[in-house]
Amino acid sequence: MSVTNLLDDWAKFRHPHPVDDKPHDPYKWAMAIDLDACSGCNACSVACYAENNIPVVGKDKFLHGQSMHWMRIERYWDEDGRDFPDQGVQFLPMMCQQCEAAPCETVCPVAATNHTSDGLNSQIYNRCIGSRYCSANCPFKVRYFNWYDYPTTDDVWPAEMTQQLNPDVSVRGKGVMEKCTFCVQRLHEAKVVAKGEGRIVREGEVQTACQQVCPTNAISFGNLMDPDAKVHQQWQAQQVELDKDKQAKDENEGGSELRGYRILEELRPYPSVMYLERVRESAI
Amino acid sequence: MEKDIREDIAWAKINGDVLKSLENPRKLYWVIIALALAAFGVGVACEVYQYNTGMGVANLDNPHVWGLYIATFIFWIGMSHSGTLLSAILHLMHADWRKPIYRFAEAMTTFSLMTAGLFVLVHIGRLWQFYYSLPYPNERGIWPNFQSPLLWDAMAIFTYLSSSVIFLYVGMIPDLAICRDHLHPGWRKKLYTLLSLGWEGTDRQWRNFRVTYLTVACFLIPLAVSVHSIVASDFAMSQQPGWHVTSFAPYFVAGALYSGCAAIITLFIILRYVFKFEEYMTLPILKKTVRLTFAIAMVWTYLNAIEFASVWYGHDVASKDVLIQKMVGPYAYAWWGMIFCGSIVPLVLAFKRFQTNIPVLLVISLLLNLGMWLERWMIVSPTFSHGYYPWTWDHDQWPSWVQWGMVFGSFGWFTLLFMIFCKVFPSVSMYEVKEMVYHRSLHSKKGDTAEQGAH
Amino acid sequence: MSQRHILALFSNFDEAEAVISELRSANIDGFNFDDLTLKSPIEHHEVEEVLGDRSARVQWFTLGGALMGGLLGFWLISGAQANFFAQMKGGKPIVPLPPNFILTYEMFILGGVYISILGFLICAGLPAKRSPLYSTTVSEDQIGILVKAEESAIAKIKSVFLSHEALEIQEEAGK
Repeated sequence: MSVTNLLDDWAKFRHPHPVDDKPHDPYKWAMAIDLDACSGCNACSVACYAENNIPVVGKDKFLHGQSMHWMRIERYWDEDGRDFPDQGVQFLPMMCQQCEAAPCETVCPVAATNHTSDGLNSQIYNRCIGSRYCSANCPFKVRYFNWYDYPTTDDVWPAEMTQQLNPDVSVRGKGVMEKCTFCVQRLHEAKVVAKGEGRIVREGEVQTACQQVCPTNAISFGNLMDPDAKVHQQWQAQQVELDKDKQAKDENEGGSELRGYRILEELRPYPSVMYLERVRESAI
Repeated sequence: MEKDIREDIAWAKINGDVLKSLENPRKLYWVIIALALAAFGVGVACEVYQYNTGMGVANLDNPHVWGLYIATFIFWIGMSHSGTLLSAILHLMHADWRKPIYRFAEAMTTFSLMTAGLFVLVHIGRLWQFYYSLPYPNERGIWPNFQSPLLWDAMAIFTYLSSSVIFLYVGMIPDLAICRDHLHPGWRKKLYTLLSLGWEGTDRQWRNFRVTYLTVACFLIPLAVSVHSIVASDFAMSQQPGWHVTSFAPYFVAGALYSGCAAIITLFIILRYVFKFEEYMTLPILKKTVRLTFAIAMVWTYLNAIEFASVWYGHDVASKDVLIQKMVGPYAYAWWGMIFCGSIVPLVLAFKRFQTNIPVLLVISLLLNLGMWLERWMIVSPTFSHGYYPWTWDHDQWPSWVQWGMVFGSFGWFTLLFMIFCKVFPSVSMYEVKEMVYHRSLHSKKGDTAEQGAH
Repeated sequence: MSQRHILALFSNFDEAEAVISELRSANIDGFNFDDLTLKSPIEHHEVEEVLGDRSARVQWFTLGGALMGGLLGFWLISGAQANFFAQMKGGKPIVPLPPNFILTYEMFILGGVYISILGFLICAGLPAKRSPLYSTTVSEDQIGILVKAEESAIAKIKSVFLSHEALEIQEEAGK
């Protein structure tokens, strides 16, 4: 630690983010999920399990609420007295929103979760001591704790299934917190390739597992700072800005044609995931 | 008004009575030690199981990531405020009725903190790496996150524990000299000779002692307040409904003083009976302690009511839902139990008839502490069961036997420590009682001569 | 001339105070008033008046310790936050003042308490070498006055003690 380091650049160490800070450069990874296109098929959730070495905990632990799905599909029904109550379910794919002012980052006692320069909320497994304060403070409850030691638990990865594990992603032991990373291992690989060619990662070169597998292309992911990126164009079209806590859609009292919103925005975590409201009435 | 202590107690008798408590213990003592060890053993067994298998055996899940460990941690930290209240705050207020009782209260502070520390360790998922939270220079240049309230906890509790131990020890030095001078040779004499640092009661030693005691007492009061405020900020600094409340810091401190005072009453009654300290731990002093507890109970009730009122009248829908959930949801029994034990039961203490009724007070003090334990649990759990996010609602979660076992074990650990303390160190401060008797006898002599002069 | 110790024990503070003021005003040859020590079972700051001004410097230690604790705390923590791995957390500045203030406050208290105790040990001279003359009744209920003086002054001092109802007088064996 260097006190001279501190004194030299006091201004640099004092400004808050993202409101007063310069935007990320050159990458700010963000996502947009079109709830109109989402059919609730769960392919994204399964792909995430496969890509990120997430353990399948089994029925008992699932019922206990100890499941590990980094990407989960939530189902919501309207209770309006309709004939078939199960009809009209709405699906919401929810994962770590990679908030710019993440409430989880400030409260970790050992600094196991931080904000990277490309706009991700990082989780450092080997630093985590498992105090679970980050999960307590997460408004979305998208953080998952390893309640048991899954690598040594029977039937989680039986014999040959260990061959399926992704070598680019650590397998976590007990006592460690984990969550969606926007497939940081894929981002890293894409950056390495791009750096070799002396440029930054272009739109379309990297996909998250969930985006890759979605049959309706409901998920778009990319660099929000890149004007060619689909996610950038979607955010712009919906007039959703990263560092605001109330967007144009909600400003207008009488409703709006805009569909883009962020969840629990009023708590000001400045999430990086924009959802596009469902327009159609579901037939199923 | 009865006197707090007889002014004509011979100082030699004070020595004799207190030193008698350090004699070889009766059989019952060993029975209780064995029971305390057994209880602690239960806790240890639960922890070994949890350590080897994973935190899942505690029945915690998403979103209920915290449970009884955090609740009991706060409970023990809270109980530790009694010693500081008695030795530091009342010292600054020149309330000398604290003198016969503050020694065991300070010991209670130290041991409560040691017990609370255990819960920090058992609560984290990777206990073997707890040292990551300590600020030590290392070759990777990594430091803990000083923004985290859990880390402020670590530093505040370290400061408080070490200061309490030092304060307890330094305050005991004159008494240790008495033990050195008047107890039989053996391991005790060697121990006391070592610990009393050659104290002989010289004017130089007393002068510096008085100044130091006062100075450290002045530091301990803001320290105690800040420690429990920091523990409160574990919750207040988060965003969750039911936690993000500005009055949490004073509310926690009031709750801490409350449970500390209730524990003092319990231990007062027990020690008075076991060691026959009726001359020193007198009923008038008990009465004063009871009245103090009543006052703090009313403050706690007020702060509770304030919190409910501001949530009820505010537009914070999420917090209001959590409050309603506490009152009628799955935790309703515990919540109403807390209200009963914390706000209704102490009303009994307002009646003079019960203020010195020992059996009633013993039961009430235990109920008060039960209420305080429930309060801590009701702060931790309901917010998880009905937070901001609808996907997490309607999911019942209850602590497993592993958690209960460790809570039970912590009481065994505390009892063990306290009982060892009572037999090795004087649990009544002899020199302070002498001072109390001396000053009161001077005072009454002055009163007598004034009366005589008037004739 | 060699110096010897003599210890007298009294049953109450009034007698002891009277002895001290007499010894102070008597101006006995071969006896320096600073070599007089009062030993008592409890503190008694009224006796300070007769003993004269003897200082207690502990509070300087406290001041120094507290200030040092606070400053060290703040700079250590801010320096740690600003080191090579400085990463944003929760949108707050890398060196945030509110948490640093809280920890500075704790370190201020820690420094104050620790250094006060150190000051106490130094100023009170603890751990102390035991005096050549001591009575266990001092820790019970008697007040002792220990005097170091030249041989010639001892007899005069002894007579002062005796005139004030000394309960016991101990003398160091002559050399």
